[in-house]
Amino acid sequence: AATAPGKKITARLKRTLPVRGPQAPTLSELMRWYCLNTNTHGCRRIVVSRGRLRRLLWIVLTLSAVGLILWQCAELLMNYYSASVSVTVQFQKLPFPAVTICNINPYKYSAMKEYLSELDKETKKALETFYGFSEGKSKVRRSVDEWNSTGSNFFQQIPLLKVEDFSRTATDLHSGQKRKIEGSVFHKDSSIVNSGDSNDIIGFQLCDANNSSECALYTFSSGVNAIQEWYKLHYMNIMAQIPLETKEKLSYSADDLLLTCFFDGLSCDKRHFTRFHHPLHGNCYTFNSGENGTVLSTSTGGSEYGLQVVLYIDEADYNPFLVTSTGAKIIVHDQNEYPFIEDIGTEIETAAATSIGMHFTQSRKLSKPYSDCTETGADIPVENLYNKSYSLQICLHSCFQKAMVDSCGCAQYAQPLPAGAEYCNYKKNPNWMYCYYRLHEKFVKEQLGCQQICKDACSFKEWALTTSIAQWPSAVSEDWMLRVLSWDKGQKLNKKLNKTDLANLMVFYKDLNERFISENPANTLVILLSNFGGQLGLWMSCSVVCVIEIVEVFFIDSLSIVMRRQWQKAKKWWNDRKRASSGKAPEAGDVEGQGHDNPVCIDEDLPTFTTALRLPLPRDRPLPRTPPPNYSTLRLETAFTEQLPDTLELSQH
Amino acid sequence: MNLKKYLVRALHRLQKGPGYTYKELLVWYCDNTNTHGPKRIIKEGPKKKLMWFFLTLLFASLVFWQWGILINTYLSYNVTSSLSIGFKTMKFPAVTVCNANPFKYSEVKHLLKELDRLIEAALERILQPTAGNGSENVSPPLDLELWNQIPLVLIDEHDKDNPIILDIFETNQTAGGNETAMGNETKKKYKLAVKLCSPQGSENCTYWNFTSAAQAVTEWYILQSTSILSKVPLQERIRMGYQAEDMILACLYGAEPCNYKNFTQIYHPDHGNCYIFNWGMDEEALNSSNPGAEFGLKLILDISQQDYIPYLSSAAGARLMLHQQKSFPFLKDQGIYAMAGTETSIGVVVDELERMGYPYSDCTLNGSDVPVKNLYSQYNTSYSIQACLRSCFQNHMAEICGCGHYLFPLPEGVNYCNNEDNPSWAYCYSSLRSSIKQRQICIDSCKETCNDTQYKMTISMADWPSEASEDWIFHILSYERDMSTNVTLDRNGIIKLNIYFQEYNYRTISESAATTIVWLLSSLGGQFGFWMGGSVLCLIEFGEIIIDSLWITVINVISWCKGLKQRRAQARYPDAPPTVSELVEAHTNLGFQHEATGALPRDEVLPPEPGTPPPNYDSLRVQPLAVLGPDSDAE
Repeated sequence: AATAPGKKITARLKRTLPVRGPQAPTLSELMRWYCLNTNTHGCRRIVVSRGRLRRLLWIVLTLSAVGLILWQCAELLMNYYSASVSVTVQFQKLPFPAVTICNINPYKYSAMKEYLSELDKETKKALETFYGFSEGKSKVRRSVDEWNSTGSNFFQQIPLLKVEDFSRTATDLHSGQKRKIEGSVFHKDSSIVNSGDSNDIIGFQLCDANNSSECALYTFSSGVNAIQEWYKLHYMNIMAQIPLETKEKLSYSADDLLLTCFFDGLSCDKRHFTRFHHPLHGNCYTFNSGENGTVLSTSTGGSEYGLQVVLYIDEADYNPFLVTSTGAKIIVHDQNEYPFIEDIGTEIETAAATSIGMHFTQSRKLSKPYSDCTETGADIPVENLYNKSYSLQICLHSCFQKAMVDSCGCAQYAQPLPAGAEYCNYKKNPNWMYCYYRLHEKFVKEQLGCQQICKDACSFKEWALTTSIAQWPSAVSEDWMLRVLSWDKGQKLNKKLNKTDLANLMVFYKDLNERFISENPANTLVILLSNFGGQLGLWMSCSVVCVIEIVEVFFIDSLSIVMRRQWQKAKKWWNDRKRASSGKAPEAGDVEGQGHDNPVCIDEDLPTFTTALRLPLPRDRPLPRTPPPNYSTLRLETAFTEQLPDTLELSQH
Repeated sequence: MNLKKYLVRALHRLQKGPGYTYKELLVWYCDNTNTHGPKRIIKEGPKKKLMWFFLTLLFASLVFWQWGILINTYLSYNVTSSLSIGFKTMKFPAVTVCNANPFKYSEVKHLLKELDRLIEAALERILQPTAGNGSENVSPPLDLELWNQIPLVLIDEHDKDNPIILDIFETNQTAGGNETAMGNETKKKYKLAVKLCSPQGSENCTYWNFTSAAQAVTEWYILQSTSILSKVPLQERIRMGYQAEDMILACLYGAEPCNYKNFTQIYHPDHGNCYIFNWGMDEEALNSSNPGAEFGLKLILDISQQDYIPYLSSAAGARLMLHQQKSFPFLKDQGIYAMAGTETSIGVVVDELERMGYPYSDCTLNGSDVPVKNLYSQYNTSYSIQACLRSCFQNHMAEICGCGHYLFPLPEGVNYCNNEDNPSWAYCYSSLRSSIKQRQICIDSCKETCNDTQYKMTISMADWPSEASEDWIFHILSYERDMSTNVTLDRNGIIKLNIYFQEYNYRTISESAATTIVWLLSSLGGQFGFWMGGSVLCLIEFGEIIIDSLWITVINVISWCKGLKQRRAQARYPDAPPTVSELVEAHTNLGFQHEATGALPRDEVLPPEPGTPPPNYDSLRVQPLAVLGPDSDAE
């Protein structure tokens, strides 16, 4: 025994922690035992109840309770990813947003003359011939002759047409030729076409340069739209060829645009503004762009403490065909956001004081799995062409630009350039307009997939604006105000500014309350578990322990019982077969060896009283005698000094 | 004696209980408790016993951990918000209308005459330096005393490092020479500044710089005029402002006519006389139960633009504001403009935010817990954050500068600032105004109100009156106002306003506590139930056991004291007391197998076996025969 201490230990372990199977020999026994001993409430009733009806009732009740639990827990699980919204209002010092201000007219018309003179001349001629409009009779007459002699490359590229609706023929307004319309007709203002009043429909035709039979006709109900759109196409074409530095010079400088500036009770000047070149609006100036790392903040609301600027809008220097309204455009945005001024800008009137009160709201959504939004845009397969933080608008524009570069081979003028691409112009991409219009059509009809790829951002800041307008300068102050502003502008003393060239703008916080709307998970794991617990407890007084019990009894124990049955059956079958094949009676030793020495069998094959009696006796052991009486109960009680009758009873259980 | 009796009785009671050793108590507890785990510990075989013991421990710790989280969540006092949108009959907002210009120029001309002449002369000098001499000869000599209190100066910035400061009226010759140079060369190098001096003397001065002369002139004029006007008594100031009957020409609320008498007059320092419709101070606030312009307030105002003070207000129009009943209108913050010659339609949505007070969010219900004296309470108005901030500023101003600013109400025993009594007030005021520290103090000490109501406005405008209707409208309105056939109105003064509720007139965000005590209890119960199937009764059970075990300790201590002598004489227990596991085994293991070490000596102590007791079939059945094998081997 001394030689093998390890064996001794294992033997002892085996003895103290014997592996035992379920106590019940059969499944029904096990079930009965389970029902009597389980912690859940229904089962016990089933076994204890007398009478079939009652038992049936309890079975139904228990089963329905189980069903209810499963249903409710499934509901709880399904509602797990729901969000609750909380709104907090905080009164605090607020960061002042970036305010981007643009003149509606992008470039000084006088400076653009050398680039646009050809185009303008032709546009004027077109107006003269189509509508009989002329600015000065003599000038136009001369130019008409000129036109007839030189011919027009602008009209050759994109001919303007007058459409006769039902015959599907169009008159080229330049050459007067009639031509058949091939291909599809796109209507920009489509409702007019159906009215039958077709004699005024005007449009232009864009053809695929490689395949001239592929043409698309764009029609407009009004010549105003048609001419503007036509002009814009050519304009973009010309602008695409001018380098950025030149364009910046052609546009307004900060000194041109800003006459006075006043922020938070202190004077400010052009150093507080950052230039930002917008392809369609020329030079824009961003106040408080945060470029030098500091963002101004306001600690007092009210119009005196916000930004007050007087803008100089040189109406005389406006491009007559490109822009038809006068004023400035402003947009209030976050320092990290790109100002989409053409999309969501607010227009500022001249000769008026526009007071814009802001109210700040910050919203935050929960990202996956609560909702389909993106935190940084890094998970969107679209390259961000803008040097700013992600927004849906940026994604859509970038996506379109990418598609444009892919299918047309050049980039659209209004959006930033992707790496290695350049802006479209006739000389290099004669086909780009047709391509662009086709692509844009697709984009609008959501066929490019951009709308599907792009997700909205999870958090965004919003400045709700209340805009109101007052007359400015007032009738009595006009005189001195214009004089002083002229002095500020440093112009020649005899030339006074006109009040229609000026716009006064006030941007301020109405209050310093920041509304923060945020989504929070309505459920946490802890709450989910509590809800589970509540459901389990309510219907069956069950807990995880019960679940483990169920697993133990219904899976492990039942399985082992079934396995034992199967084993016994197999064993019996094997013995029968052996007996049948050998023809002799089975030896007692075989059975014993299988029953007692087989390690697999030891644990499972528990002899009952009757089977034990039938078992053959091991020959080398003494005859079994009556086992010693079970004094254990008695002996245990001796541990107590005094014995009370009821405790004795209890412990004897 | 009583105590002893009580103790004895308690002892007896205890003895009737589950038992009076710790182990017995524990076993009894495990067997009889309603929590699910412990029962299993004593019911199963040794291996499972171990497993169940650890499971129970694990679950118990899980329960406590999650309870901690739940209680933490509860104590963070989260709120959930619910949003409701719709239309309901609501109180029509109070509407304050003012003129952008505070006083009629014709009325205040005698007060501001000197000032106007000064600024005109100064502008003349700045703008037209060469022609300046000629005009000066005609006009009477200027009162330079007013000028010298707060002078405007020109700063020559040709040399960036040492700018030259030029007083406009001083030393005519040199200034004139410089200014002509300015006229020829780069003109933008000159800046206007307001010179503000502290009381110590002129050497301690700051220059309030402006990039724009227009801005400088306006600010300077405001400073000077406040000083002048602050000396005028309130009654006089009200008289100088616009009167209700002159300003409010027509009024219609829903289908009911109203007139200027339905408006409450209030003197607003920024805008002079303001008139508030439906303020709810004296009578019940009006309700509006229909959306649309037909059921709203329609006003026609005259702002008589010709009577504006030229240098004080450059923007012309009416200033209006929608606010809650019984609250003070802070027009500079929340007000909007209405342009002359137009009809302005304002669709209103009431945006309400109802918040729960402390401890859920840091807000105040009526401002009584804010450490700033509300100066606006003299108007009988309710607390608002704007009122608090302004009161805070004014209190600071009174403390530091010794006088109150003209734009805010006065604290008790303080007068408004003016140049004569407080020569350095402008310096003090401007330094206080730009002091970030002072603002931060005010921001920190003021709290927002819990019920925040905002009126969201959709503003649209159209020209009014139309050219065709212009004549008769002006005629009628003039006639009604002055009883004369002369037209006294024009496009530059007349304003039409429509204020009405939109189709959905309210959007209410109301807070409710996300975690209530009921929520906490049910979550706690859920957790306890989920892991252990326990309830409050189980906790009580546990408490009972603890009390019991305390009693056992008491008894043990008593018996130990009692039996100190006897203990030495006779050993009650020859062998070590059984361990918990042994006892547990004793309950479950019916075969009562002892551990090898303990079994042998015990067997010797046992009395000899009596005859033949009935066979213990149980042991036969449960105990596999193979296990008996090693036992017999050991013997």
